[in-house]
Formats: sequence, C-alpha cells, structure tokens
Amino acid sequence: MTVSGRTYDLDSQNVQEALQGALPEPIHEHFVVINGRRWPPKQVLALVTGLDRADFTTHQARRALTRLGFPAGRLPSRSQRRAGRPSAAASRPAAAQSAGREQPLVEALRPLIGLWVAVRGDEVLVAAPSPREVVAWLARHRQRAQSMFRVPDSEEDVTGAAPQ
Amino acid sequence: MRFPFRALPAAGGGSLTPRPVVDIALEGLADAPMECLLDTGALRTRMSAELAPLAGIELTGSLTEEFFIGGLKTTGALARVNLTVTDDTDEFSWDAPVWFCEPWPHPFGLAGLEGFLHYFLVTIRAYDEYLDIEPRP
Repeated sequence: MTVSGRTYDLDSQNVQEALQGALPEPIHEHFVVINGRRWPPKQVLALVTGLDRADFTTHQARRALTRLGFPAGRLPSRSQRRAGRPSAAASRPAAAQSAGREQPLVEALRPLIGLWVAVRGDEVLVAAPSPREVVAWLARHRQRAQSMFRVPDSEEDVTGAAPQ
Repeated sequence: MRFPFRALPAAGGGSLTPRPVVDIALEGLADAPMECLLDTGALRTRMSAELAPLAGIELTGSLTEEFFIGGLKTTGALARVNLTVTDDTDEFSWDAPVWFCEPWPHPFGLAGLEGFLHYFLVTIRAYDEYLDIEPRP
C-alpha cells in the first residue's frame, strides 16, 4: 500500500503487532476497531509506518486500515450524544432493562476484562493494566472520566465471596 | 444527584447484575473518580491503596487496621481526604475518612457509613436501577 508517496507492505498482523504496548488516544470523530478497542486512524497509521501524522489525512488512514479488514466507525456529534443520553428518570422494570435493553458499555468493556478503564457515559476513554497508567493517560490528553474501575475478571471480584 | 446502576460484562459471557455505584473523586484525582459500590452494611469507606500515591495522599504513619474482605486478609491505612461527587450539573465535596487497603481484591471501592452514607440522604430504587443522593441538610 502507498501512503504519502511511500510504499509499505502491511497486513492486519503487523498492524496489530505495532500497537502492542500503546494506548489509544482520545477519539474525536473517526475510529477503527483493532483487537476489540477503538483507535484513532491517524495514530494507528503513524505507529505502523513511522510517518508523521501531518503526512496523511484521517480519511487516508481510515481507508488504508479498512482495506486491511479493520472495521471503522464514527462517533456521533457531541450534541447527538447528549440527546441520546439515557435518562435515569425513565422508570422501567429492572429485569426488562437488564434482559432486553442494549448495554453498549457492557459490550465496550467485554474485550477489556481484567484491565483498568476510565469511562464517560457509554464510552471507554482508555484501558490499561494499572490505575497509574489510566490516570497518566487522562492527564496527558486532558480528559476527564466519569468513572474509573477495573473490569472484573470473575464474579468473585464483585461479590466478595471467599474462594471455593 | 442521580446515579444509574452500572452493569459490567461477565467473564463467562453475558453481563453481571447491575449494581448501585457512586463515582467518588479523591482530592488530587479529580479527573478519575473511582467507582464505589454502595455498601450499606459497611462501616468504612475503603479503596485500593494503589490510588493513594496517585492522589498525593501520604499514608506513612497513618492509623492502620487489619481485616478480612472477600476471604482475603488485608491492611487498611486511614487518611482524611476531600471527596467529590458530581453529575455534571451539581457537585458536592466533603471531608471524610477513607481506608486505603493493600491488598485490595475488588475492582471498585466500597462506600460505607463513615466516609459516605453519613453525609447523604440516599434513596435506592433497585427496581428502576438507579439511586439518588442528596447532601445531608
């Protein structure tokens, strides 16, 4: 594939390898999904190619990565997100909510079991092995989380039951 | 101030029953409020000791106590810290005792009587999966 006049031999495997140890930066609008996490397309292409981000556009990065088979998406605008925020005042039976309702945060957290996360609404801002890394990421990117916690990797983590 | 119960994925698939949680920010860690499970049976408010240095909270020389939680023996160190809850519209801060525990088995903190419940009127609407808190008059 050619990016910014240079040719690269890329496949999905070496893209995934290039992201090892990196944390996704904040998503402003466009993202690609790699290993169950959302990444800014320009960050990924810069990591993979070593190019400066000024050398290509978001759309070029997004197109290059979707050609390699990674799904891409776009965040709703801030106003759409505000309008779509679920109202806690809406009174519905709990059983119906848990059983039938879409749970976007649950699905976003599923690939992150065992990791520390910072979330805002249904959006995962960052996931990392320790709270120190989460806090450092928030500071570095001037982001404010609604909540920080570790995604439990067992029911006992939550219930506090003694090991069997 | 309203907090919807939070559902989390279960490791074996599906999701865990949504539980009553409150996101409490430690002074010095305002950008990363810690999810705390509301624990009406707990005397203390407890969090992982990992958080203390991130918030700049000094635990050297603090009062400590040993206890069992989740079948695990742990040590808590007491610090009096400023805590904040917010829902983006309202914000409330208070000064409270928090026990920072090492090791800490839970993926969240525990908000108990001292440190949290003594400061709020709390209404739990489990059927509707949310809780309301109002600062104590």
